[in-house]
Amino acid sequence: MEILAKDFSLQEKLNILADAAKYDVACTSSGSDRRGKKGFLGNTVACGICHSFASDGRCISLLKILLTNECIFDCKYCLNRASNDRPRATFTPEEICTLVVEFYRRNYIEGLFLSSGVLKSPTYTMEQIYRTIYLLRTRYHFRGYIHVKAIPGAPEELITKVGFLADRMSVNIELPTKESLRALAPHKKPENLIKPIRQIQNGIIGHRLSIGKSPQMERSTSNRYLRHSIFEENPYQRLETRQTVPSVGKSMPPKLPKDTSFVPAGQSTQMIIGASGESDLQLLSTTQKLYQQYDLKRVFFSAYVPLNEDSALPTLDTAPPLLREHRLYQADWLLRFYGFHADELLSTDHPNFNILLDPKCDWALRHLELFPVEVNTASYAKLLRVPGIGTKSAQRIVKARKQGYLDFSHLKKIGVVLKRAKYFITCNGKMMYRIPIEENFITRQLTGEDSRQAWAIEHPQTYRQLSLFDDFHFSRGTTTEDYQKSISGQI
Amino acid sequence: MDERKTVFTCNDQFEDMMTCIYDAWASRLGHSHVQLRTEPIGNLELFCDYRHVEKDSAKAASVVRSIQKKISMRAYMMIYRAAMSDQDDKLDAIYRFLVVGFYYGASIINYLQEPTVMRILELDRSVSNEAHSHREFIRFSNLPGDVLVSHISPKSNVLTLTAPHFADRLPSENWMIIDDTRYTAVVHPADQDYYLTTLSKKEMDHLSQLRDDPFVDLWKVFFKSIGIEQRKNPRCQRNMLPLWYRKHMTEFH
Repeated sequence: MEILAKDFSLQEKLNILADAAKYDVACTSSGSDRRGKKGFLGNTVACGICHSFASDGRCISLLKILLTNECIFDCKYCLNRASNDRPRATFTPEEICTLVVEFYRRNYIEGLFLSSGVLKSPTYTMEQIYRTIYLLRTRYHFRGYIHVKAIPGAPEELITKVGFLADRMSVNIELPTKESLRALAPHKKPENLIKPIRQIQNGIIGHRLSIGKSPQMERSTSNRYLRHSIFEENPYQRLETRQTVPSVGKSMPPKLPKDTSFVPAGQSTQMIIGASGESDLQLLSTTQKLYQQYDLKRVFFSAYVPLNEDSALPTLDTAPPLLREHRLYQADWLLRFYGFHADELLSTDHPNFNILLDPKCDWALRHLELFPVEVNTASYAKLLRVPGIGTKSAQRIVKARKQGYLDFSHLKKIGVVLKRAKYFITCNGKMMYRIPIEENFITRQLTGEDSRQAWAIEHPQTYRQLSLFDDFHFSRGTTTEDYQKSISGQI
Repeated sequence: MDERKTVFTCNDQFEDMMTCIYDAWASRLGHSHVQLRTEPIGNLELFCDYRHVEKDSAKAASVVRSIQKKISMRAYMMIYRAAMSDQDDKLDAIYRFLVVGFYYGASIINYLQEPTVMRILELDRSVSNEAHSHREFIRFSNLPGDVLVSHISPKSNVLTLTAPHFADRLPSENWMIIDDTRYTAVVHPADQDYYLTTLSKKEMDHLSQLRDDPFVDLWKVFFKSIGIEQRKNPRCQRNMLPLWYRKHMTEFH
């Protein structure tokens, strides 16, 4: 394979290295807000911008590529593991810069997502990554979004230098427990994974304090009305942060413009779902811990797509657990925007999400004593816990009810999903219909409505509406008898 | 009592619409006796007088000033976006909104119980969403001399809503965005302010010619290889990126 490497054209390289990068989930361009500047190319927008949607329905926001797909590691789940026989290619920094700048000018992408296999050593790989984005920021005057992977095992100084140029950095944990990490990624040590995360976090805290911001990353603004969110009730809130603030100035690269930033969009990570035997509870608790302890901006989940044959892994014909991934994302949203805690949604005797119901409905059904909620008086935090009311509709309700009472027709216009919410709310003391607040009844009603949707998520390619004529084969061929009958007027 | 309605009509431009509101208000016919429409008018109604209103900058400016002063800047922005919509009832909706808006003042935008307010919010939301989608899905092609040209056929008139985004993003590039359905374009010379202009058919044809560009092929390669076969989901893709946007998108050609 080594011999071939030199002969690849840019197009072939792009094909190989985009294909190898596609299993990384994070493609968001959010969290960083930087105005454009004359003589430079690009800006960043806080809400993030998707530029296209691939055939799998996932957004394409960044040019997601690997620097190289050569790797000295042999992680069992990974396509690029050393023991796989695959075409290997490596981009030069200039090639990457040209691609980014030219794609960006045409509004194809929002920036660069640069990951890499480990070439030669973590240090060497990280150096190559640094060189690439240094060129991009300085010689190519690029001000768009850059998301870079920190390679575990790379020296601290190098990671800090990259942090000054990137918008977001991430280290993939991939597996939530030490045991599964040992089984599936024998070359990766849990300490080595946590070390760069901790270090970037310290860098972010230091930089934020030095520019007069609070040490914690910004969260959704409506979270300030939630007194019990995971960010407010944080057992890991580090009082010691003030002592361990690293001196940022030391390793600052030369020739940086005044508006310096250090990983302004924060860190993210991803975990694989379904390659090893974790429960949803373990995954979600780890997620919550990552938000609280390391102040990550996002934790991504990736339904395991079987690529390698291995006795430690699911077989190659296993379908990716898309519904489970979907449920975990729903729960992740509940943690970040709705003030839920992991232990409210799942417990040791209820360790996995309900296939038929979304996590919020599932929670509500187990806490019927809290319902119904009166829309016209309930607090924002209480409204958010009603299935069918999201952050936007809750905010609209709070604003609108100051002007006058709301009834069900108003709620519908406001955007509340009444088919779910009607079991849990009252308007001026009245429910929408005469509905018994009874677990079995409501469960039956809700699962009937949700199961079709759940099935569609699990089977994206096969889903279609049943058609009376195509599926039941009502038509049969006409026979000579029919002709005779039609002539004689019987048909 | 005279039950005849008077319909004030005007061109589908923001200044014309504001003038139209001024004239309808100043006609003293009473709010329930007037209706406002933008041209072209498809079906004429019976028992209605139609009055065409010509643009008058002074009148338009005074309406804009009143909205900003008596309601709020935020309400003005909402009205501006709603006015860019392609819905027939938009101008009348704006008029009805102003009737209650001038009465309640700045707090009006929170009266979601009020149907006229809700309608403006809906129009505003749909136009803003479309403008955002165009920020995402606009594709420039690189013409000789490093001029970036993009064609769009939006439902709402989103040119002025998308241009500031690109002016901030590509300050030192020559670019233009052309609205194929309205024959208007935003032109941005490098390091200068952008301006709005109308194009003739000939200019349009000239700018629509396709040029060879190696990065188009590279982008298509990337687009194809980034999708995961095992997760293929065209339905989700259609939800996120409706088919009508794809007409002008490089990767779908």
